[in-house]
Amino acid sequence: MAVKPMKRKKRETLVAWSFLSIWVIGFLVFTMIPLFTSLYYSMSEVILDGEGIKVSFVWFENYKQVFSSPEGFNFLKSVSDFAIEIIFKVPIITVFAIIIAVMLNQKIKGRGFFRAIYFLPVIIASGPVINQLIYQGVATIPIIEEMGILSFINSTFTETLARPISNIFSELIVILWFSGVQILLFIAALQKIDKYTYEAAMIDGAGPWESFWKITIPALKSMVLVSVVFTIINLATFSENAAILHIKNNMFALETGFGFSSAIAWLYFIVLVIILGIFFLIFKLFNRERGRR
Amino acid sequence: MRKTKFLGTKINPTRFHRSQLKYILIITPVALFMLLPLVYIFNYAFKPLEEMFYYPPRFLVEKFTLQNFVRLFSVTGTSGIPMSRYLFNSIIVTVLVIVTSVIFSTLAGYALSKLNFRGKKLMNEINTLALMFVGVAVMIPRYLIIEKLGLIDSFAIHVLPYLAIPVGLFLVKQFIDQIPNELLDASRIDGANEWQIYTKIILPLIKPAIATIVILSFQSVWNSADTSITYINNDSLKTFAFYMNSLTTNTNGVAGQGMAAAASLIMFLPNLIIFMVMQSKVMDTMAHSGIK
Repeated sequence: MAVKPMKRKKRETLVAWSFLSIWVIGFLVFTMIPLFTSLYYSMSEVILDGEGIKVSFVWFENYKQVFSSPEGFNFLKSVSDFAIEIIFKVPIITVFAIIIAVMLNQKIKGRGFFRAIYFLPVIIASGPVINQLIYQGVATIPIIEEMGILSFINSTFTETLARPISNIFSELIVILWFSGVQILLFIAALQKIDKYTYEAAMIDGAGPWESFWKITIPALKSMVLVSVVFTIINLATFSENAAILHIKNNMFALETGFGFSSAIAWLYFIVLVIILGIFFLIFKLFNRERGRR
Repeated sequence: MRKTKFLGTKINPTRFHRSQLKYILIITPVALFMLLPLVYIFNYAFKPLEEMFYYPPRFLVEKFTLQNFVRLFSVTGTSGIPMSRYLFNSIIVTVLVIVTSVIFSTLAGYALSKLNFRGKKLMNEINTLALMFVGVAVMIPRYLIIEKLGLIDSFAIHVLPYLAIPVGLFLVKQFIDQIPNELLDASRIDGANEWQIYTKIILPLIKPAIATIVILSFQSVWNSADTSITYINNDSLKTFAFYMNSLTTNTNGVAGQGMAAAASLIMFLPNLIIFMVMQSKVMDTMAHSGIK
């Protein structure tokens, strides 16, 4: 067979797309197309009745409604609460996950067992169970209330900031339950570090503290952003999230309907992308600083 | 002595040493908090009704009872279809979803992580952005597409939408990123093609990622009644999650609460079993497998 050998680049592109093809088709059909349809709906009046669906294009009417109606106001309030919460929760989860990952990577007896326990909440952390637990008061650490931290927060911050922050403290344990996958990501990154690097550093006179900052943390850097992204998604798509409940409730509501619901979904999406962008920027700035030093 | 503090490749050191104490002292109490949801699910299901509504609520069961389970099994579904049918549907659906989603997301993850091609960066960014979008918001457009494709009331609809979950691909890709390129280059020099690299190198190395996806996708598919509610009208094609859901929602009021607790324990047990089977692989170190 006289087949002309393809250029490596071209062949690789071909192989890559064939590996991707089925996934891409599924992604287009079940995610991308519905996504853009919902963008279109967010600028339309959508009426669902027995016969089917009637769509008429209205430009930004739905978005205007979000910023002018009481329902829209409630939604915006829950989104801003959520945004403030997420900005605090993401660093907490990331730092916690790093600390736990580093400890679970030490040689300790029963390491596999401990790792399993820390991953366990991932399979339980479903909406209803967590809500019940919060209601039962399991999610708070009693000491926080006893020491008057909550009242301190309420008296020092303005109301808009105080509410999300005291939420964070009262749900501190819930936050830990959301860190299973992140711990796993960091453990995976830690295992990439060659143990001889530590030995070499030790011979050069580095203590455990220096090794931690100069070897361990740089190795985890690539995973920090990944973990941040995952955390945001995990919290943002949590089914009992107030913003999501708004989207759900308005979908078939008489006064607002699916057009409005799509509009708030897109606003929510934009807010999430902005939050992600902020973390991305912080991460970039931080890296540049380190690079200079 | 210092040496033992840092990395090793074996997962469980066999000996206990005093230097481990400081870690254990921190890890153990926090681990107890991690176990709380589990303890809660078990306790709640065995609580008699009056205990469920105590105020302030109590965490542990005081008078252990099976009455919630008895009540759950004494109501029968309205459709007249035996429970085993729902269970069978659920098992088939779950297995199909897990197998196919693992295959497609690892294939796509390998391409996005290690192959160079035009559009790679764009694809990665689209996937990350798509992650941010909330599933509920696309419910109606998705329904319309599925209707157009003629997939309403077909078994396939249980499986198809799960094939391309952005989260799965996102996680797999991160794990594949951890594999050193040198390893792949070495095998290319030895004459391996991309398919061989995928099956012989990538797949064995990312077992922890695969196990994680298995657990996550098991959890989302097994527990979800959404597909059955939204896309399926034919009762014989619905799943166990739907059945459990309908049993508890048909019984209103206080008794329903107890049954819901029992049902959620029953629904949860397979999750726990899968977790126990897979967890050793999840926690397994990637370092075991040739990356040194």
